[in-house]
Amino acid sequence: MRSRLRLLMAGVVILSAALPFAVLAVGSVAGEWRWPALVPSAIEGDAWTATLAGGTRLGPALLYSLALGLATGVLGTCVALPVGRAIAELHGWRRHLGAGMVFLPVAAPPIALGTGLQLTSLSVGLGGTFQGVLLAHLIPTTGYLSLFFVGILSVWDRRAEDEARTLGANPRQVLTRVTLPMLRPSIAAAAALGFLISWGQVPLTLLVGRGRVPTLPLEVFGYVQSGQERFAAAGALLLALPPLLALGAARLAARDVDVVPV
Amino acid sequence: MRRSWKGLAAAGVVAAPVGVGVVYAAAAAVGLVGVSRPDGASGQRVARVLAEPAVWESTLWSLWVASASTILAGAAALGTAAVFRGPGRLDRSARSAAVLPLPIPHLVAGVLGLLILGQSGLLGRAAYALRLVQAPADVPALVYDGWGVGLILTLAWKEFAFLVLVAWSALAERGAALEEAARTLGASPGQTFRRVTAPVLLRAMLPAGVAVFTFILGSFEVAALLGPSDPLPLPVLTLERYTDADLGRRSDAFVLALLGIGLAALAVGGHEWARSRWPDLEG
Repeated sequence: MRSRLRLLMAGVVILSAALPFAVLAVGSVAGEWRWPALVPSAIEGDAWTATLAGGTRLGPALLYSLALGLATGVLGTCVALPVGRAIAELHGWRRHLGAGMVFLPVAAPPIALGTGLQLTSLSVGLGGTFQGVLLAHLIPTTGYLSLFFVGILSVWDRRAEDEARTLGANPRQVLTRVTLPMLRPSIAAAAALGFLISWGQVPLTLLVGRGRVPTLPLEVFGYVQSGQERFAAAGALLLALPPLLALGAARLAARDVDVVPV
Repeated sequence: MRRSWKGLAAAGVVAAPVGVGVVYAAAAAVGLVGVSRPDGASGQRVARVLAEPAVWESTLWSLWVASASTILAGAAALGTAAVFRGPGRLDRSARSAAVLPLPIPHLVAGVLGLLILGQSGLLGRAAYALRLVQAPADVPALVYDGWGVGLILTLAWKEFAFLVLVAWSALAERGAALEEAARTLGASPGQTFRRVTAPVLLRAMLPAGVAVFTFILGSFEVAALLGPSDPLPLPVLTLERYTDADLGRRSDAFVLALLGIGLAALAVGGHEWARSRWPDLEG
């Protein structure tokens, strides 16, 4: 009885994870699909062929989002690593205050943040620009990644750095020869996380980009709102693929690590 | 002492843009800056907006959706984490599948919500195949509905992956050793679950649950795709006011933005309070 329940639960978990991607794949090529048919009666590949031929807004938006995500991931990591380290070195109430402060950009509703930032970005000439949207994406990203590094560096063993100093290494050598190489997996994970935060961002891009920064999420949002479900499903699948690949890569990298049993 | 100020200053750099946003929103809410200043520099706009029943209906509706989604996702995560924590193939398959939605953007979850839960969506078609309904009109409205059922289910599906990962990490890092110690001391399986497993899970998941609640409360895109038009979810109402054709109403959005940020700040306070209550779980 117990093993049957476990099988049933596992079936529900696996189906709820796999079915949505099958729905997107079918939806992206669904031609005529009258109710109550479970599958479309005609296949229409125009969402994909047009995208590959550059005939939709999805292709350029994909490249735009990739550039924005990569820049956000790299810059966010560069800012968050020293911030996370500085907070991790705090103790008592100061540490809770520091962690609470970097949690604010994570918790602040993006739409509320965006309304406050839109006119500020306009007044400094960054409204509706790639750079303005990049800076806006960096706000929640540096918050998330600072918290990430606070967690990592709170349990960081500093003995290797101390030994390097004892052996005569200067601060720069300790950083480049010991700290950064040891933190390489965490730095790569942080950059990937930063990429993903930017990759799915809608409200900040909408408000600070003022419709002039055509990212993939905004194009998908537009297709949904205009009722073009086939194109919306194709765009949603394009949005889902890089994160899934990143998750797969992370699983491969963490195969020998026993901390998170994914 | 110097190091502590350096740490807080670094945290201040990250938090500063939120401060800029809050200061700007506060100044715009009282009419000091912004596209329209019909009330002048006064608290009239704040009082007027906060006296609107629609604003409180939106706020309460968004709080309902955030609470229900978080509780649903948390309960499913607790059950799944407790059942599939072993080394067997079924457990590993369930774990791999459960975290699959984790990196997926919320917008994708919103598109899926429409395609699956909409009245002509896959769920309605499956209900017809099972002879439960005869026409699309017989399918209960799960999207754009007053109770936000489709929105809650979609957000719970998306956030379940994060919460179950937190639960598994807590069990792997702390639960196994403590459970073994309890069993060695003679505790029965029931006692071990009640006294060790459940407290470990709840303590690890409370901060994560607060984070999920806060995120959902401020989440825009899924609410915009699946939420009703009356009441509007709070983030959607904020954007609607911000883009209102009537310039006089646009600055109302800043009052709503302050309301949203205030609710988030309360949740952050709750989060840090929860963390400080159980320092032994922070590693």
